[in-house]
Amino acid sequence: MSRHNSLGLGKEITVTINGKECKSTFGKTILEIARENGIYIPTMCYLTKTQPIGSCRMCLVNVEGVDGAILSCQEKATDGAVVMTQTPELYRERQNIMKLYNVNHPLECGVCDQSGECDLQNKTLEFDVGDQPFTARDQHRPVENWGHVSYDPALCIMCEKCVRVSTEITGDEALQLKFGGYSSSIVNVKKEKNYASLGEAAAVCPVGALVDTNFKYRTNAWELTKIPSSCSHCGGGCQMSYEVKRDTIYRVSNHAEFSTLCGAGRYGFDYANEGVSKDKEAFKSAVNAVANAQSILFAPQISNEEALILQKIKEKQGTKLICHEARAYQKFMRAYGSITGKNLFSGTLKKISESKGVIVFGTRINNDAPNVKYHINMASKWHRARVAYLHPIRDEEMKNIVTQFMHYAPGSEEAVAAQLVLALSGEAETMPQNITSVLETLDPETLAAQSGISSEEIGLLQNALSKKQGFSLVVGSDLYAHPRAENIAKLLALLERYAGFNVVCVPPAGNAMGVSLICDLDDEIEGMSVGYNVKGDFTLSALGEGDLDMPAMNQQEGTLVSNDKRLVPMHVAKSYGGYILNDIANAIGIEAEYTIEYTTALPQLQGFKQEAFDDLPDYFDISGREHRGYLLDEVNIALDQTIEAVESTKNMGPVVYHCNPVEQFSPLTAKCEAITGEAQLVGSAAFAKETGLDDGQRVLYEIDGVTFSRVFKIDTSMSGNIALNPSYDMGLSAALLSSYRFKSVDFSSTKNEEAGS
Amino acid sequence: MSNIVFSTWRDEFIDNRGKPLEEWSETEFKLPETYHGDKSSKAFIGWDGVAIFTEDIDAVELASQYAAQYQQYSEACGRCAPGRWGGRILYDLLDKIARGEGTHDDVAHLKEVSQTMMATSKCEIGKTVPKPILDLMEHYKAQFDRCIDAQVPSKHYGGDTSYIAKVTAPCTDMCPAHVDIPAYIEGVRDMIFTESLQATRQTMPLAHTCGRVCPHPCEDACRRANLDEPISIMELKRIGADYETDHQVPWLHPKEPKPPRNDGKKVAIIGAGPAGLTAAYYLALEGIHVHIFEELPVNGGEVAVGVPEYRMPIDKYNKDIEFVLQMPTVSITNNHRVDADRLKEIDAEYDATLLAFGTRLSKKVYAENENPKMGGYWGAIAMLDKVNLWSKYGIGSPASNELKDKTVVCVGGGFTSMDVVRCSVREGAKKVIMLYRRDEGTIIRNTTYEEYHEAVEEGVEFIFYSAIEEIIDDGEKITKLKCNRFELVPDPNGGRAQLVKMEDGDFELECDYLIPAVSQAADLQLIPEEWNIELTSWNTLLTNGKDYMTSRPGLFAAGDCEYGPMTIVNAVGQARRAASVISRYIYDGKCTLTDDEIMEDHLNKLKVYDKKEKITGWMPGLPRAVSEKLGVDERKDNNREVNLGFTGEEAIAEAERCMRCYYISMVAV
Repeated sequence: MSRHNSLGLGKEITVTINGKECKSTFGKTILEIARENGIYIPTMCYLTKTQPIGSCRMCLVNVEGVDGAILSCQEKATDGAVVMTQTPELYRERQNIMKLYNVNHPLECGVCDQSGECDLQNKTLEFDVGDQPFTARDQHRPVENWGHVSYDPALCIMCEKCVRVSTEITGDEALQLKFGGYSSSIVNVKKEKNYASLGEAAAVCPVGALVDTNFKYRTNAWELTKIPSSCSHCGGGCQMSYEVKRDTIYRVSNHAEFSTLCGAGRYGFDYANEGVSKDKEAFKSAVNAVANAQSILFAPQISNEEALILQKIKEKQGTKLICHEARAYQKFMRAYGSITGKNLFSGTLKKISESKGVIVFGTRINNDAPNVKYHINMASKWHRARVAYLHPIRDEEMKNIVTQFMHYAPGSEEAVAAQLVLALSGEAETMPQNITSVLETLDPETLAAQSGISSEEIGLLQNALSKKQGFSLVVGSDLYAHPRAENIAKLLALLERYAGFNVVCVPPAGNAMGVSLICDLDDEIEGMSVGYNVKGDFTLSALGEGDLDMPAMNQQEGTLVSNDKRLVPMHVAKSYGGYILNDIANAIGIEAEYTIEYTTALPQLQGFKQEAFDDLPDYFDISGREHRGYLLDEVNIALDQTIEAVESTKNMGPVVYHCNPVEQFSPLTAKCEAITGEAQLVGSAAFAKETGLDDGQRVLYEIDGVTFSRVFKIDTSMSGNIALNPSYDMGLSAALLSSYRFKSVDFSSTKNEEAGS
Repeated sequence: MSNIVFSTWRDEFIDNRGKPLEEWSETEFKLPETYHGDKSSKAFIGWDGVAIFTEDIDAVELASQYAAQYQQYSEACGRCAPGRWGGRILYDLLDKIARGEGTHDDVAHLKEVSQTMMATSKCEIGKTVPKPILDLMEHYKAQFDRCIDAQVPSKHYGGDTSYIAKVTAPCTDMCPAHVDIPAYIEGVRDMIFTESLQATRQTMPLAHTCGRVCPHPCEDACRRANLDEPISIMELKRIGADYETDHQVPWLHPKEPKPPRNDGKKVAIIGAGPAGLTAAYYLALEGIHVHIFEELPVNGGEVAVGVPEYRMPIDKYNKDIEFVLQMPTVSITNNHRVDADRLKEIDAEYDATLLAFGTRLSKKVYAENENPKMGGYWGAIAMLDKVNLWSKYGIGSPASNELKDKTVVCVGGGFTSMDVVRCSVREGAKKVIMLYRRDEGTIIRNTTYEEYHEAVEEGVEFIFYSAIEEIIDDGEKITKLKCNRFELVPDPNGGRAQLVKMEDGDFELECDYLIPAVSQAADLQLIPEEWNIELTSWNTLLTNGKDYMTSRPGLFAAGDCEYGPMTIVNAVGQARRAASVISRYIYDGKCTLTDDEIMEDHLNKLKVYDKKEKITGWMPGLPRAVSEKLGVDERKDNNREVNLGFTGEEAIAEAERCMRCYYISMVAV
């Protein structure tokens, strides 16, 4: 079918810029083509990752045969265009614009946080503006503290970058323009939310108008050393740099021109295992414990290299390796791969952002993986994507992105997956007979009755996607530990293989995907255990509560696998004085001088490359292409295309949903000061009624052997018979949770206890 | 005889200062020399120059006030560096000079800032504001010099001259509803779709509808056409409306609706079509109580029962209707036909009544043996009522009962006739013919290229330059039509070409149904004869076209029953103005216009769009986006919406082509 393309995008064109012939395709702007060809055009408001803003007018160029100056950041180049980017007239206009930007801009750069990395400073010098020839009556405009960030309208140049990021990228939609000519300003319309994602808006601010509140006035930008790294919190592996002075991390920054960092990545940097020295006795016990351990339990907050060390320990001494979340993901992806023939999902985040329809299923995505949510938001803004959000709990934070909320009963995910397949796999003639015959036995009405998603809702979804191409399916960790996870995986894999969906199976938090690819994981704990950031018989811990201290993630070098299937490097931001896992490995005969020697040894059979840690690139090029680490190779695996019929489920009654609040992912983020809060059990009014819990009551309950003691709070915006239960604050117990995210919990003991006491 | 002392308007240079009256040159433009009633203007200043109507003008204050208005109106701007700071500097420096504190350096700075604003501003308002200021500084230099050299205020500084300004744009001016088009397009460009919709709803409550079926006269006044192709203005309107329903956001109003007044005042509206709904909405936005009387069981008027589902899905139109009817001060009675006696009761009971009942009588084709009662003779309005009541509401029976496998001939050439033939295709007619007196080009001009092209694709046969001479029947039903063919003969004197009947051009068409869709007339039976309401020569209700009051005080009329069969957007524009006038009339019994409305009318008379203007500062040759349509086989046997709307990428690309041609103009009174 020929694709509708009224804009004529993609046609090959040739343009000449400053005499240089540049080949490109129609759809690219003059500025993009210039940059690809290393030609400089000054800008103040341009932000590569958003649509052109066009507020600064600095990027004006001349085009032969066209009267007047052309806005190069916005105007697409046409075939044969001859562009001049530097003329005396253009220089004068750009210089005048800089003079205007300097009207009443305070000159106290010495007390401005942006000084040293300020675009206004840089361009003022570049255009040789030595004084402030234009004046206008000044206005009194006080600084506003918005929580994580503060806004100083007197410094604001109204470039609009922050608003664009808030709208197009993070989707918090908190920032808006307040029109008013000279007195225009940026307003935060959702101050009460104190979105940590506004840190990204501050990151793109070219001047000192929007700054991190906690960083303000602490140091000069030029005194900080940038240590490039990758965020290990949610599994996104996003680019970040620790900014360090005298072994203290002052802040986290990122290449905000091209990539995006969520609030947890930006503000969850300050936890490190500090003041640790080499405790020889404890080390000896640790070596002994590891050598004799029958099981090693570990949290997925671990580097690829350390995961490989654990795998080598297993290979050497037969120790069982337990990492519940990674194991569930591993089994899910293996089942998935039996249909697709690949070891991982084929989708990418970029393709999500280019989708015209996105289905989100089995994840509270805004909490689980902010970077994935951002890409869904981009699709919503740039492509008017229809976004269907299938989950038992409505997420109000997704309201501006989602076009169809579809609520299913907890536990019925297999039926939902089958409904999606029946509705969306189309007339896939290539589907094997044995699969179609199973699908034929599925009755849509029975599935609808099971899941609670009606056939009408499915019909609406089908209509919304009709005559459109480019669909994504985003699935998440509700599904991985589901009792029917493997059949769910296979059903959803049909959509990738036979319906062309761009599927992303978002891994659980931490480096669960890396672990799932590197370690041969086991299901059950056996005998004497060593826990690594998990409570074991002997505990190695970065949280400072174990038998031997370990470094926090910002104290290690190594690599992670991002949820975009990219191996990304982390560097040491803060010193660490104690022993590390590699020391223990060396002591039991698994030898390597440095942990990062294992980077080249990561399993090629799983798509890793033989690239040394120190050779890994870590940058974005001028056009925004990512050169960080490398993308994992696609690996073919054996096909075994069989699916099973859908099992019936029963109503689970009141359930708690294991879900951390936004910006929280693990016991490591729990220890970061800028994003702390009290963990509570938050449930709907219906849940309170059903369970008999009162608002404000403290309750005790147990999940997977982990005992929770929490204050219960009613959230009237929630519907269904459900409560949200976080685990990030559970320290060394958090990684013990292994079951399906929805759990029927018995609160009767709590009530008895309350009554008895 | 005009009294233009001086003018630089649109490159016309007039300088009558010091000349004897008989040597004064005249302007060819309709400049607002009289502001309103007997109030004359002292000057008019705007994007294209300045015109002075009195020798005693204070040019310095005029310039500084124009800059001040730009500051005040900068809600329309403030979006680029040169406009934001440049505009402020213009005002500060001009006011400094006008106060008597300026220097010649200030004049130099003014010129430099003006140059940068004109070369680099984002929208036309920033590019054009300096022009008349520079004109004044050049041609009234003596006044500026005096203020500076003597350090004295300008001659009437702080006096009693009032300055009344208005922001417009060529498209906005051309739009009968004066929709703030650049603002809603900017909302799409910014991807803040709620703002886009709110901008539309300032003057246009039917955003879903006019984002789909508006014939977009605005696009004929789009400056982008001077460069390459006009912006696809209409389709961009749909984006914000669709966002509201897609994301189930609460109703978005252009401003916070005022609380119900509950002061006993109430307005009656006859007809729940576009005009009635529009008037109801803007009255309700002011908290005024409105009751609508609607003859049909369904709401929406001709757009609901006339415009087919495939062009205007009813669930989308219902959103617009619901948006109006959910207003707390709006109520409605359906199935309530108002006749002359009832109208007298309503007129007595309500503080004002707006007639908005449209034109629902199909006109005849004026052929021999034309008998509307003959079998097979089916007026377009009745035919479309039947089709739409069934397909949209399940009322009545399917028109395919009549039309399946039949031959249908429609006489027309406008939107209604297109709806007739394309519905006939969908109802299963064997053969559908459109008979039209003129040519292909004219039918496209009367409708749209897409309408015509899609009808041809669906198998409609168009016979041009033809008309029915005689209808032949068998006593029970029509069997044949005798037709004449015409040719267009140019007028040797250069006048309009004439249609001349061709010798030997006659032909016969066999047919089962003849559906005249020539035009419609207003059904005036509900007007009490003793009121002696004045009518137009078209037999519609006469008003002055400004306040929309009929010859009877308190009785207003808007939409097709006032104008004759016209567009939705025309009905909306008239009804909004009528609502504004009514909102004052019910309190003071007077028909008054606001300054904004007076300026709107002045600018409309002056004409904002200049098709000869050369465009600078934009890359030519960027293609106009065209939305995807259902393929002919996917659409011709069903009522699915044909136009799939813009993709996000198309919408943004199209919005980026918009040149934001905001202009500010001001009258000194």
